[in-house]
Amino acid sequence: MISLRSLLVGDNSFIGVSHLSQARARSRAQELDIDAIVRVVYSAIEHGATGFTFSTHPTNLQVLEYMKLNPGPKFQLYPVLPYAQGYVRTANEKGTMKLATELFSKLAPSTKVSSLLQGGLSAITLDPIRMLKSYVDIELGSYLRVKPENTDLGAILLHDILTDLGVAFEAVHFFEAFIDNIRKRYTAKPGFVTRNFVKFVDLFERNRLPLRDIVIMCPFNKVGFQMTPTKESCEECLSKSDLGEIFAMSILAGGYIPLDEAIDYIRTLQNLTGVVAGVSTQQHAQETFTSLKPLLTPR
Amino acid sequence: METNVGVIGLGKMGVLHSAILNTLPRTKLRAIYEKNRFLVKAGGAFLPKTIRMYRDLDSMLAREPIDALFITTPIHSHVDVIIDALKSDRHLNFFVEKPLASSYPQARAACKAVSKLKCVHMVGFQKRFSPIFQKGKQIIETRQLGDPVFFRAHSFSSDVLKEGKTWRFQKGRGGVLLDLGPHILDLLAWYFGEPKPLTAVKKRFYSREVEDYVHALVSFDSGLKGYVDVCWSMRNFRLPEISIEVHGKEGILTVTDDSVTVEMSGGEKKNWYKQSFNTPIPFLLADPEFTKEDQTFLNAVEGSTSATPDFYHAAKTNALIDKIATLSQKTSK
Repeated sequence: MISLRSLLVGDNSFIGVSHLSQARARSRAQELDIDAIVRVVYSAIEHGATGFTFSTHPTNLQVLEYMKLNPGPKFQLYPVLPYAQGYVRTANEKGTMKLATELFSKLAPSTKVSSLLQGGLSAITLDPIRMLKSYVDIELGSYLRVKPENTDLGAILLHDILTDLGVAFEAVHFFEAFIDNIRKRYTAKPGFVTRNFVKFVDLFERNRLPLRDIVIMCPFNKVGFQMTPTKESCEECLSKSDLGEIFAMSILAGGYIPLDEAIDYIRTLQNLTGVVAGVSTQQHAQETFTSLKPLLTPR
Repeated sequence: METNVGVIGLGKMGVLHSAILNTLPRTKLRAIYEKNRFLVKAGGAFLPKTIRMYRDLDSMLAREPIDALFITTPIHSHVDVIIDALKSDRHLNFFVEKPLASSYPQARAACKAVSKLKCVHMVGFQKRFSPIFQKGKQIIETRQLGDPVFFRAHSFSSDVLKEGKTWRFQKGRGGVLLDLGPHILDLLAWYFGEPKPLTAVKKRFYSREVEDYVHALVSFDSGLKGYVDVCWSMRNFRLPEISIEVHGKEGILTVTDDSVTVEMSGGEKKNWYKQSFNTPIPFLLADPEFTKEDQTFLNAVEGSTSATPDFYHAAKTNALIDKIATLSQKTSK
């Protein structure tokens, strides 16, 4: 019998993301203003969600500000950073070099970027670990300043683009630094979003990184959408590995799978501890979380 | 046997391919060549020590036993890199990010450079590896729509909503036709054969030196006619988006990055989403198509076979882009 600790409402519909249809995402995001988004989240919480997971997209900063001024029920926050598409946009518009120097000057403000570009480079040490730590603090800072009072931090998660780059390059020190920074500076668990769950677990196991004390958020759905390398290998990894909190995302594969079928599949995954579901209206929130609520461990 | 790989350029696509290549079986990412000192330093700091950074292509090819190069530099430099790399003694195979070149004469130079070599060459038209676009091709080839009579296609993004500063916005090097045009034009050629542009117009919205929008009327030998719109200054496109709508005598086919829809004249409607097709890949970053195209190229290198789309296919896309650019120049005068 599956027994979940967390049910999270996700932010995809609020920031124009749909894994089923970009056209649908565009029209939906244009329909929702901040007040409507907050009402959808509060509706999800009232009907069973225990938390809200969101990327550090500017819309979500407004959402938190609004929630702070208009308190709702008590729930947990699971920020995911960064909002990667924003950086891709900067790279397209200004080039990778400009993106890198902008980031660098943000993280090491004492260094003049002009001196970086004009040959003072050899004197400068790029310390990836220190940069990662300051990046997390800067990126999170503005969101934490507007954290609503009746919320607490469940976990702080690294976006799948960064996690999966780290997995690809086996950046063990990078993962260690992220975990260490979150543990020391925040009252939240470190977490990672990944679309390469099996490789992620393998890397952590081989390098004795702490799998039991982190949150992993990764796709689990009936059709195997984004389950890499295969659906079966992800299921086997989930059942056999000694893991901490595992949150299934993309359970509806972007709306492709009906909710009841998605829940039937989720019930077969014994080691799951949480589920993320995106919703776009109050009614949708009510339907989805009323159906998911029976999966929660009674409190 | 491992294939030893070098990546040229550490921009967005260089990072993407480097990451994928570092995870693939029987593949060893040995080195990255990048001209920019800051990016070389950043690469050295962030990437594993097993991948060596170079600022000089000759040194990289002299010191590293490289079998295949992934060229991800700005478009106008692709062909120079290929020609420079071929001066080394190594037997090299080439994967080049799309488009092959910034003009047809350049693309022809690339074809000439590899024409007498037994090497694998491929260009990164990754949309051909999307099961959605493959399904669209299958529907057209099995003539489910009857005779195709009209199409409309677009490639839109919100990448340029103010004047940009990079090579993408420099005359002769960039513009939306070279940026978003190659994928949609390659797909149309893949679906229907060689496109013949009849007329074209272009427009600048934000850029000073290059076009932000191009509209082209195109015909095919079969008699099929239609138009293509390419614009990188549309609002509210979080991701670039391609759409091809084909009207046949028996039905309508719509293919986008997300789905394939067929509406038959009798009223029957069928939908396929990308979720309908899950083919296993060893590693997922951005879209699965990037891993699939890299695997296709590396399998060809390993088996000493050929890979599609190769330089010759890609040169045709460059020829088409040049023709559309020339036509739009005439109408804009």
